[in-house]
Amino acid sequence: MSKIRLGLPSKGRLKDESIKFFSEKNLNIQNSNSRNYFFNFEKNENFNGIFLHAREIIERLNDGTLDVGISGLDLLMELPDEYQKNIKILKKLNFGHADLVVAVPNDWLDVQNMADLEEVSFGFRDKYNRRMRVATKYPKLTEDFFLSRGVTEFKIVGSLGATESYPFTESAELITDITSTGSTLKENNLRIVSDGKILKSSACLFSSKKSKQKEFEALIS
Amino acid sequence: MSKALVDKKKREDISKKILNLFKKKGFNFIDLDIVIDTDLLTQRSGEAFKKYALNFKDKSGKEISLRPDLTIATAIQYIQNKKKGVGKFSYFGSAFRLNKKGDLRVFDQIGCEIINSKSSPEFLILSTIMSVFQKLKKTEIIINDLALFQNLINSLDLPRRWKLRLIRHCSRKEYFDELLRRLDTNYDLDNEKIRIDHDRLTELKGMNINKIIGGRTVEEIIERFEKKIKDPRDNFGGSQSVKIIKDFLKFKAPLGKSTYKLKNFFDKNNLKIKDLNKSILKLKDLHRKLGSKYTISFNAQFGRETQYYTGIAFAVFNQKKELARGGEYNNLIKTLGGKQTSAFGAAINLNELK
Repeated sequence: MSKIRLGLPSKGRLKDESIKFFSEKNLNIQNSNSRNYFFNFEKNENFNGIFLHAREIIERLNDGTLDVGISGLDLLMELPDEYQKNIKILKKLNFGHADLVVAVPNDWLDVQNMADLEEVSFGFRDKYNRRMRVATKYPKLTEDFFLSRGVTEFKIVGSLGATESYPFTESAELITDITSTGSTLKENNLRIVSDGKILKSSACLFSSKKSKQKEFEALIS
Repeated sequence: MSKALVDKKKREDISKKILNLFKKKGFNFIDLDIVIDTDLLTQRSGEAFKKYALNFKDKSGKEISLRPDLTIATAIQYIQNKKKGVGKFSYFGSAFRLNKKGDLRVFDQIGCEIINSKSSPEFLILSTIMSVFQKLKKTEIIINDLALFQNLINSLDLPRRWKLRLIRHCSRKEYFDELLRRLDTNYDLDNEKIRIDHDRLTELKGMNINKIIGGRTVEEIIERFEKKIKDPRDNFGGSQSVKIIKDFLKFKAPLGKSTYKLKNFFDKNNLKIKDLNKSILKLKDLHRKLGSKYTISFNAQFGRETQYYTGIAFAVFNQKKELARGGEYNNLIKTLGGKQTSAFGAAINLNELK
């Protein structure tokens, strides 16, 4: 039997929780603390493991060069629909919980929900002759969600980080961002719109549609 | 010669004949740009439109789109050439649109447009288009006046924000239906949240009213908040309005009988429709001039999906094939950056002409 190619996140809590998840299945990584990207499990030779950036894991599952991997649901959902056809969610895991939400400046008292945003966005265009800007690392999910809630007058501003700062640096009027407790948003004077939850995300165990999924499920069950 | 080449040659011959016909009616041929600044499209229709256009980035990173529509391309050219006075234009070319799956669809169109006309242009455009199809039998025209819908909404007993919402989203059928469901149940504002925010209003009122918070002034935020809480939230007859809207959108009748039936519908529902007589006169005039030659039906649903139609809209069908479509688009030029200008046009779908 050829070995199962497994990808795990290379950094942070997602890495630690992923390692723990496999430990609980009696699959202990031999060399998790080394700088080596590659790893194997003790007493189990069925896997060829590699630590990768969580986004990279999705890419590799999509092109079939990984069989299984752990990554965030948000990362899969943000990519073109084609990825969802090529990647299967085997299991939603009990870590890496975070929501993708719409947040506005706390002082926008008149904006409670998406219907308010819809109205404000039309008013904004009429008054300033430009569309309201939404800073985000998730342009696709944001666009689909806004359009489904009737907010059509907006423009996406791509963000690579510190998205919470955008409404206060004149780079955008509001944001969408991933949050687990909401505390970073609060600390930055932002408030989540009441019906503005775009996606409930968590870490997931994914498999490539081309993978040896059954063999893998038997090994970790 | 291959079949594709024969078809192409045939289409070019037909186009020449149609353009000559348009010329005799006073329409001058213009060559339209094949690419459009994407920002212009989104400025008019928001991000939604980008999903249906084929977009690229040029070397400077600026986003451009293959023209999804020749009417928009005509309006842009009218603005860019700083034309004044009445413009009567004809054009020929392809429009490029993506379907829901993202596949490219190419529509070969030939059309005519009147911009900035002081008199009612609907008969001239309709009769010009119909002159192309005069040899066809069993040709049917479907017609609507979208101004009637807008005026109907404005006549209903609803908060202003609901009227605006229904008018703005009329072209997005799924979301419009969702709005009707919400209106039916009066789901709109969270009173508890409003109470909490009301407490914070005092704090905001202590700030400099010109202070900018997330691109909006404090004054703007306070003004909208106060307006919103004063707007009636409960018992505004949402269900009754939903029923009227749904019944109106089901309205269909032969054009000759539609004016009488429309008046009856509005009277029965005790609605005072602004400019009703103007709409009735337009419809009666079209019936008088074209009703004896063609089967014309009024359909209150027709043309809703085209965001820029503001008044009369029509389509020509033959054996269930849509041969041509057009309408009035009085706000398009303004939203593309020009002045408020009246406009009316129609395009023939060459893909359906054999």
